[in-house]
Amino acid sequence: MAERFEPRILAILCNWCSYAGADLAGVSRFQYPPNVRVIRVMCSGTVSPHHVIHAFQRGADGVLVAGCHIGDCHYLKGNYMTLKRMKFVQELIRFAGYNPERFRLEWISSAEGVKFAEVIRDFTEKVRSLGPAPSFEASPRLAMGL
Amino acid sequence: MKTKVRQLLEEGRVDAFIAYKTVHGLPFPTVFTKADVGVLETWQPFKARYPVTKLLLAQARQNPDKTFGVLVRGCEERSLYELFKWNQLHPDKVVVLGQACPQDLAFYCECPKPYPDHLDYGEAPKPVQESRRLGELHGMPETDRLAWWLGHFNRCIRCYGCRDVCPVCFCTECSLEHKELIPTGKLPPDTSFHLVRAVHMAGRCIDCGLCEETCPSHIPLRALYKHVNSLVEGIFQYKTGVPDGKSPFTMLGEESFLPTGVR
Repeated sequence: MAERFEPRILAILCNWCSYAGADLAGVSRFQYPPNVRVIRVMCSGTVSPHHVIHAFQRGADGVLVAGCHIGDCHYLKGNYMTLKRMKFVQELIRFAGYNPERFRLEWISSAEGVKFAEVIRDFTEKVRSLGPAPSFEASPRLAMGL
Repeated sequence: MKTKVRQLLEEGRVDAFIAYKTVHGLPFPTVFTKADVGVLETWQPFKARYPVTKLLLAQARQNPDKTFGVLVRGCEERSLYELFKWNQLHPDKVVVLGQACPQDLAFYCECPKPYPDHLDYGEAPKPVQESRRLGELHGMPETDRLAWWLGHFNRCIRCYGCRDVCPVCFCTECSLEHKELIPTGKLPPDTSFHLVRAVHMAGRCIDCGLCEETCPSHIPLRALYKHVNSLVEGIFQYKTGVPDGKSPFTMLGEESFLPTGVR
């Protein structure tokens, strides 16, 4: 039997909503695939486009950024910045020729454990269907058409 | 150039003026002070381009209480607007004289506005609205683009020329030199080198094309920055290189800058 492709997904979660949502999914024993690696940040507004690009460079097959719903930000308007930046970064990676579906932005509150599990399930399946991410490395071999 | 600059210097309206002096038959950007009014030359159209506003910024940083005058082209005026908006220069401390570009230079640069708003020298040439390279890229299937970009990026020798020549790259600390984000000692550098720079050019690039002209490896950087800028324009309705407005990335919050559609 051919081995199933297991994607590596990086999830950057905000401390106040999405990380608590992930915690709730855990204590409620909601099932979700173990393909996701979580980084907790204080606010999704601190996530720079650099981090997303860096994750793809280091071989992530998918990147998820999750924060509080608009209007619920612990820092009032931090996630406005997230929305602006992430909307932009999605279009940037599309232009660079990377599949923008490998990147996702979600709003998950601390009460939405079910949604967290669902998002992870859905995103993992999506990335699995896309297959391993193409290399982000610029190598001289490419120039020679090899 | 002779009369207007001389007047500005002699009346004391500027402490120094950045204009051009012919060196070995080529115009070369030079700082003129009151003592140098005698060597000012008459203006004539020329094709050489320099990051003059970058020179101006360096001068202004060293002499914060001095007023500078500068002779600018269309692109250089756009960069001045951006430097004002990003609080790098004070509009009261800069006196601007504008010059038009020769028509063949405008065609060569594919310049959308080859003349400044305040035109003191020359006739405004016809602008060029279409970028051939961007047209080629947009015509390409999205799946081919990554290989196309990587094929160009792999020639990068990490000279930082694109950053060093850029008139709107004013940071004193640069993400491109962040050791964790972009590992050192690797050639060609990570693709993120170019994409990180592209992120920084969003809502900032004034489309002068100096980066591409400087690049020793002929990486089509301008198409990349041109596109990220048009993304900002499309998503946030923000236009760079105009006197008013603020980049959506400069402020936290601001509902008016949120992209429209489902959140």
